[in-house]
Amino acid sequence: MITYKTVPNKPEDLVGILNPTILRWFYSKFKEFSLPQLFGVFEIHCRRNILVSAPTGATKTLTGFLSILNELVDSSQKNILEDKVYCVYISPLKALSNDIEKNLLEPLKEIEKINGKPLGIRIGVRTGDTTPAQKQRMLAKPPHILITTPESLAIMLTSLRFRDALRNVDWCILDEIHALAENKRGVHLSLSLERLQRISPAICRIGLSATVAPLDDVAQFLVGTNRDCMVVDVHFVKSLDLKVLSPVKDVLEATYDELNRKTYALIDDLIHQHKTTLIFTNTRAGTERVVHNLKTLFPKKYIEATDDDPTHVSTLIGAHHGSLSKRHRLMIEEKLRRGELKACVSSTSLELGLDIGYIDLVICLGSPKSVARFLQRAGRAGHKLHETVKARMIVLDRDDLVECAVLLKSAIERKIDKLHIPKNCLDVLAQQIVAIALEDVIEVKTLYDLIRQSYCYRNLPYDQFMQIIEYLAGEFVSLEDRHVYAKIWHNEGKIGKRGKMTRVIFMTNNGTIPDETGVVVKLGTEPIGMIDEQFLEKLKKGDIFVLGGDCYEFLHAKGMVAYVHAAVGKKPTVPSWVSEMLPLSFDLGVEIQRFFGNVNDIITANTSKKETISFINNNLYVDEKAAEAIYNYVKEQYDFAALPHTKRLLVEHYFDGEKHYSIFHAAYGRRVNDVLSRAIAFSIGRSQHKDVEVGINDHGFYVAYEGSINVMRALSLLKANDLRTALEMAIDQSEVLRRRFRHCACRSLMILRNYMGYTKRVGRQQVSSMILMNAVKRISNNFCILQEAKREVLEDVMDIENANKVLQAMEDKTISLKEIETKIPSPFAHTLILQGYSDVLRIEDKHEFLKKMHALVLAKIGLKR
Amino acid sequence: MQLTKGISIMDLGLCIESNLILADIHLGYEESQNRKGVLIPRVFYKALTERLAKSLEGKHFTSIILNGDVKHEFGSIAPSEWRTILSFIDFLRRYTDKIVIIEGNHDPLLKHITAKRNVSLVEHVSLGNTYITHGDVIPKDKEYEAAEIIVIGHDHPAISLRKMARVETYKCFLKGKWKGKTLIVMPSCNLLTEGSNVLSRKALSPFLKDREDCELYVVGDNIYRFGKIKDIREKM
Repeated sequence: MITYKTVPNKPEDLVGILNPTILRWFYSKFKEFSLPQLFGVFEIHCRRNILVSAPTGATKTLTGFLSILNELVDSSQKNILEDKVYCVYISPLKALSNDIEKNLLEPLKEIEKINGKPLGIRIGVRTGDTTPAQKQRMLAKPPHILITTPESLAIMLTSLRFRDALRNVDWCILDEIHALAENKRGVHLSLSLERLQRISPAICRIGLSATVAPLDDVAQFLVGTNRDCMVVDVHFVKSLDLKVLSPVKDVLEATYDELNRKTYALIDDLIHQHKTTLIFTNTRAGTERVVHNLKTLFPKKYIEATDDDPTHVSTLIGAHHGSLSKRHRLMIEEKLRRGELKACVSSTSLELGLDIGYIDLVICLGSPKSVARFLQRAGRAGHKLHETVKARMIVLDRDDLVECAVLLKSAIERKIDKLHIPKNCLDVLAQQIVAIALEDVIEVKTLYDLIRQSYCYRNLPYDQFMQIIEYLAGEFVSLEDRHVYAKIWHNEGKIGKRGKMTRVIFMTNNGTIPDETGVVVKLGTEPIGMIDEQFLEKLKKGDIFVLGGDCYEFLHAKGMVAYVHAAVGKKPTVPSWVSEMLPLSFDLGVEIQRFFGNVNDIITANTSKKETISFINNNLYVDEKAAEAIYNYVKEQYDFAALPHTKRLLVEHYFDGEKHYSIFHAAYGRRVNDVLSRAIAFSIGRSQHKDVEVGINDHGFYVAYEGSINVMRALSLLKANDLRTALEMAIDQSEVLRRRFRHCACRSLMILRNYMGYTKRVGRQQVSSMILMNAVKRISNNFCILQEAKREVLEDVMDIENANKVLQAMEDKTISLKEIETKIPSPFAHTLILQGYSDVLRIEDKHEFLKKMHALVLAKIGLKR
Repeated sequence: MQLTKGISIMDLGLCIESNLILADIHLGYEESQNRKGVLIPRVFYKALTERLAKSLEGKHFTSIILNGDVKHEFGSIAPSEWRTILSFIDFLRRYTDKIVIIEGNHDPLLKHITAKRNVSLVEHVSLGNTYITHGDVIPKDKEYEAAEIIVIGHDHPAISLRKMARVETYKCFLKGKWKGKTLIVMPSCNLLTEGSNVLSRKALSPFLKDREDCELYVVGDNIYRFGKIKDIREKM
């Protein structure tokens, strides 16, 4: 059961359980116990599972460790400290050493000093970088606190000798649990934890999380099925100073150049009003672009910190993101801690709790797309208790203005968007079953029960589980070939390991993070974005494509760099590249629609402009200038056509002289819009047999087609009940499925990234995965790994669950449809039409497509039949 | 579809009078991928024989000629190659009394397998004015000099066609000129991969140094004539 702890313990309670040495140390460092400590330390001491949710800088880590250090120090003094792992600490970050130094080694040194003699408490770090010699040492003398990553934990549990050190662990701490729960790393970890609990039955689980929702789900993810968990939600008021800033007076009228120039002038201003500024962009390439532009626009003010010249004393700005070298990132972190940088630009890599010293201002360039992410980013400022959090969102365009303003409102009113935890991932399951089989022979029934202990698999259907067992046992190929494929044997209700290579295969291919390589797109010398190798392969010279909202013409590629020039106003010839974009959260999208609904009511009631602006001003916590800009934008749409809102979906029909567009104004975020647009396009294709283009963004989507099509009829044919079946067919030929199939094939050990000492490049993996996908389709269209790839696309990449709710609401008429016809796209439709299409639904089969292309060739090159 | 007098395309094969030619089958491809850590299930042999059985049903050929690269692994004989190559020879005997295999560059060890069925390997086959060879090297013999039509494989020609966001790749035949002779290039019979796109990939065969003037015959449910490579490149 999940229970919320709402009353903290008294400081006396903590004093009562803490060893005198620990207490002396604590009071030498801190004046008093923090709120998270008052809530959490006692429970952890009593070995009760607990989830602590608190903002960054709220002493969460020490809350987790205090009781554990207490136990270790106490045992050491009483001479009963055993040679075993007492606590496993798991963090999603690989770069742990700095933080551990600060959070554990230093305190331990200080405690030993107070104690007067060494305590013999060992801290060990085991990650992918740990050397064999270090591993040996750990085996001989297991660390009392073991610091590790989810991937290394899975390996240790599979290593015959290390497993013994993990018997009877007392505590396990999951740091930054929110960052793990929402992806397959977390799913993988949830099974590793069950494997750990199997050999450490009394383990107490501790989760440390940033502000996140719903806490119930995260708590269940932490502890697994049918176990108790205490939840502590410490959102004490770190005082918030949050604002939305527009770089220009009128974001509607400003030209691209003006907006760009003024944005950087504003950033420059803000940087110089503060000591250290942390700037977040939404993409890695965006990070590069900001650094590049600040350097070019203000050449004397900023000199970039680079790898090549680490001794440069006057470096003032640095970039930090996942594609940069580890050395570069460490250097930037170090410079930040020493206060040597004026500004640091990052994408998502600095969102997590890496120690980066004092930051007094956080800038989000463009909407951070979710309330939780914004709070997380903002929390990096004033990274100390009781300090003011100062953060600014700078808007990029008019949709962004509305989005940021509503986001700010939700953040201040603490409406946190819900996080999505992937469920029943068959590829991760396959990998972990191999690992379990490597431990020992196990009954299939016992295994099934063990798996369902994980929250991510609590509803795993037995037949899906058996499909994975059969897959791993090679039962999809004939008996004589089976030895090649089988990683387990399956006989008389039991399974066990099979094949002498299986252990090595697991050890070298464990984990869930797919290999990705990015091709940098450059306009002259300026990096403007990133695309992947497969996308590049399809580009021909002269192709126009959309990247980050702007059109570019492809010139040529050299190695991993693609060169383009600007193609303003030209029509894209290939779908826009969107995969790197952060999606708007569904909940925030609904809030935006709710706001439109409110404004709609007010304008309809003939309220004056002044009063309406004053409403927006009060409702959204934005200044008058921004309120007026929002008013102008919304009013323009109101006068031109109509406002979409939670109860009314606006469908705009527009003909551009070539194609018909049906634009759906649906601010549900791109994950939902991806589903809805494909479903409608598929329905059109099925009933009227035509290829249909789809275009999506966070605020709506469109379907476009040649000739006349009855879109509303196609929509009415679409039933929420059939949505999944329709979508599975609709994505069958899509790029996104092809890419995700590769990831799933790697995770389920069908494609071995590392094998016989060789590592496969991403391009090679993709080629293999295409052949593999064709081959498994010949076996069955429901082959378990293909099925998982489809599930991942529909549930994790897209959001079929909420799309289904929207469709259901349309069927129930709780959402009504309003159709309008326009001669030019309405204001709300502008961005969407400009960005171009993202995919074409392939309705024809391969033979029909060839026939059509042949007819086209005959017409174009005048070939005689 | 007839390519020239007496020579016509039949699905992935080429008929010369009453002889059938198949090129670049690459049996054992899956196992070689398996050895590299890609666990492709072995579905190809079944798919190939089913497809051939459909197009060859009720027919009888004077000879069936396998134009090189019957086997995939260069340096060893994989167990699945033993199995499938022998069964494939047995399968083809339903449709002919004479099987001829032209040695391809992947086939240095093939003779050990084919010997079990008394099929020997040759470097080329001449049928009237037509000279059939794998295509990895340019022959120097007299029959070659005298031939008017050359048939090769080796290159696995395919074409990627794109319309808006959709790209599909199809196997294709090429027909062009080589030093005054007519040149016909056959697609690969391997069903796991389509082949290499003639619009973007470099040719491997010395016969195809300049293939821009070659005409394309694309294999789908029918054979479609697509004109010259350079026209497709420029106009599509």
